[in-house]
Amino acid sequence: MERKEFLWLIFLVVVFLVFNVVTLSPLVPWQRWNLWGQATPDRRVEVTFENYQIGLPATGIEIKQNELVEFMATSKDVTYGFGVFRPSGAMLFQMQVLPGHENRIRWKFDEPGVYSVRSTEYSGPRHPEMFVADAIRVTP
Amino acid sequence: MVRIGWLEKWTLRFAVVGLLFLALSGFEGILMRTQLFSSDLLHGFEATMSALRPGEMAGASVAELFYAMLTAHPIVGIYGFAYMCVMGAFYFLVPFLLQKPIRYRALVPVNFVLQIAGVMICWASGFFGLFNALYTLYWPLPVSYDRTPLAGSVAFGFGLILIEANVLLFAFNLFATVLSKSNPHPYNFWEFLRSAFGIPVILRRLGIKVRDDHPRYTELPVFLVAVGRGSIDTVINAVVLLTAGVLILIYGLPALLANVRFNPASVDALLYKNWFWWGLDMVADGNVLMYTAGTWYLLTPLLTGRKLYGETVVRTVILFDLLVSMFVWSHHLLSDMPQPGFMRLLSGQFVTWGEFFTMGLTIFAVMMTIWLARPLRFTPALKFVMASLFGFSVGGVAGLIQANTGLNLIVHNTQWVIGPHAHFLLLGGLGSLLFAVIYALLPLLTKLEVPNNALVNIHLWGWVIGTLGMTYSMGLAGAHGMLRRTLYANGEFQPYMLVALAFSLLIAVGFVAFLLNVLGTLGLRRVLSLVLPDSWLGLQPVPAEA
Repeated sequence: MERKEFLWLIFLVVVFLVFNVVTLSPLVPWQRWNLWGQATPDRRVEVTFENYQIGLPATGIEIKQNELVEFMATSKDVTYGFGVFRPSGAMLFQMQVLPGHENRIRWKFDEPGVYSVRSTEYSGPRHPEMFVADAIRVTP
Repeated sequence: MVRIGWLEKWTLRFAVVGLLFLALSGFEGILMRTQLFSSDLLHGFEATMSALRPGEMAGASVAELFYAMLTAHPIVGIYGFAYMCVMGAFYFLVPFLLQKPIRYRALVPVNFVLQIAGVMICWASGFFGLFNALYTLYWPLPVSYDRTPLAGSVAFGFGLILIEANVLLFAFNLFATVLSKSNPHPYNFWEFLRSAFGIPVILRRLGIKVRDDHPRYTELPVFLVAVGRGSIDTVINAVVLLTAGVLILIYGLPALLANVRFNPASVDALLYKNWFWWGLDMVADGNVLMYTAGTWYLLTPLLTGRKLYGETVVRTVILFDLLVSMFVWSHHLLSDMPQPGFMRLLSGQFVTWGEFFTMGLTIFAVMMTIWLARPLRFTPALKFVMASLFGFSVGGVAGLIQANTGLNLIVHNTQWVIGPHAHFLLLGGLGSLLFAVIYALLPLLTKLEVPNNALVNIHLWGWVIGTLGMTYSMGLAGAHGMLRRTLYANGEFQPYMLVALAFSLLIAVGFVAFLLNVLGTLGLRRVLSLVLPDSWLGLQPVPAEA
């Protein structure tokens, strides 16, 4: 290996280490509670998916700011996605919802507000209809 | 008039059909981008097209048409454009570099016909049958007949099987050519496989004595090393996707012919997703990278007149790429929480970073070769090599950002993924490289130079700027919450889609400039000679041995 090539390899190794250490560290908020945080969530919310319908708790979802919530989603037919969107429309987080499995993700909402839920995975031509506006209310 | 030989003619046929598929795929892309801008704009066009569809398919909704097109679009782009061009190029280059004939010449036209047939059946399953389960075929969507039309599903299964069986035939012919007895160092398949995975090298490094009488890859041109190793991934990809096609038919045929419905839940969705992505990723993170590296290693010394920089490292990199490609698929399952955490972290994130090293070293070697060869004449092929280096660099870095257990949770399935990563890689990287190959091979195949430099520059800048603008407006839309695979009926992201549409038209301008230039280079008679008998055009037929 030539010297310039070796130096370039060192540079690649440094980028690899820095990027991966930082993105896996508690500096990333959701890594803090998913990889490094508490073992049990403050509360659990169950979400069901079937026949293009997103089933949320009948009482609605009201969460306190900075509360660790575990969303547990199941599907009875095909693969869907569970995505939570900010009032601005930007996506906050998402996960896939595989049929035949319990799909769990933990999140802490750091800003109060009203959030929407949308299926983030294609499940058939009616997939775009799978949107629930103002599904989650986060209070201070 | 310069005569074109038998093999050269077939290479050109593969290239021409590949470019027609690119045009079709691009046209579909523009139509879908238009629908994402405003789903009402294409009503007249859709009504005209629907008149061609049978029975109740004629009354398809905008969403059904959109998703059927979205399913066909990548099949046409990858297996139509990219694979046709690769088949044509490799059928010329492998024997050319080995100085020996293709092992089974009769398979060349067979591959040509079957690939077109397979792609067109898949396309027709969408256009006529409204098959809409997307290229990802997430189980059990392809066999969920309440949302995926049954006949379309069966037709797609047949098309997919045909494509993959044909790819296996092509790979067999490539391997047979490399392994055939006329090689200076004939060896059997297992010796070849052993050598391809670098097992003797690894054993020697571990201090274990190995027989030295089998051939080594160091004796082959580096391009062939990449083709050989990349084709292992090609075979795995074809086998896995073949099983997906067979599975679709196992469910589809009894349902279609006897109304017998098997339970889709018999196949575990997560297990299937792992199997499917393991195979599918052999293209995205396997053979594409190795074929690309091999093509750069071939073209750069040819175009610059300088020996490849760091050839020993380059050979090791290709081996490392092959090993990485075997374990990299989990980055497509980073948002699948039932996937074991160690798989998401190791396979999904860390192994994926292996590509950062392989592509990083590859691009460095190519850039150093170009740099050390100054002063340079920027031929059309070299310009597109540079464009492809840019495309793979930007698209690759975008891919690494999303191949991260943390960041994937906030970008997965957004337009960010399909724009700056997938389309930048495919159009800016792979597309540019295939154009470089065509520009480089045209004089070799036809003894003709590409005459119009102005058209080359329009092609180059239209393609590069168009790709950059389109993908980054998609990326910005993704950052603002726009999902991929989602039709927004209320024009929620219109400004971004308008910009993306404008830039996609710029890509089309570049492509048209390229077609005009190629047509001008070849001349109408030579183009017609690809599809019409020579005697009709007043030409002496070229014998197959020529």
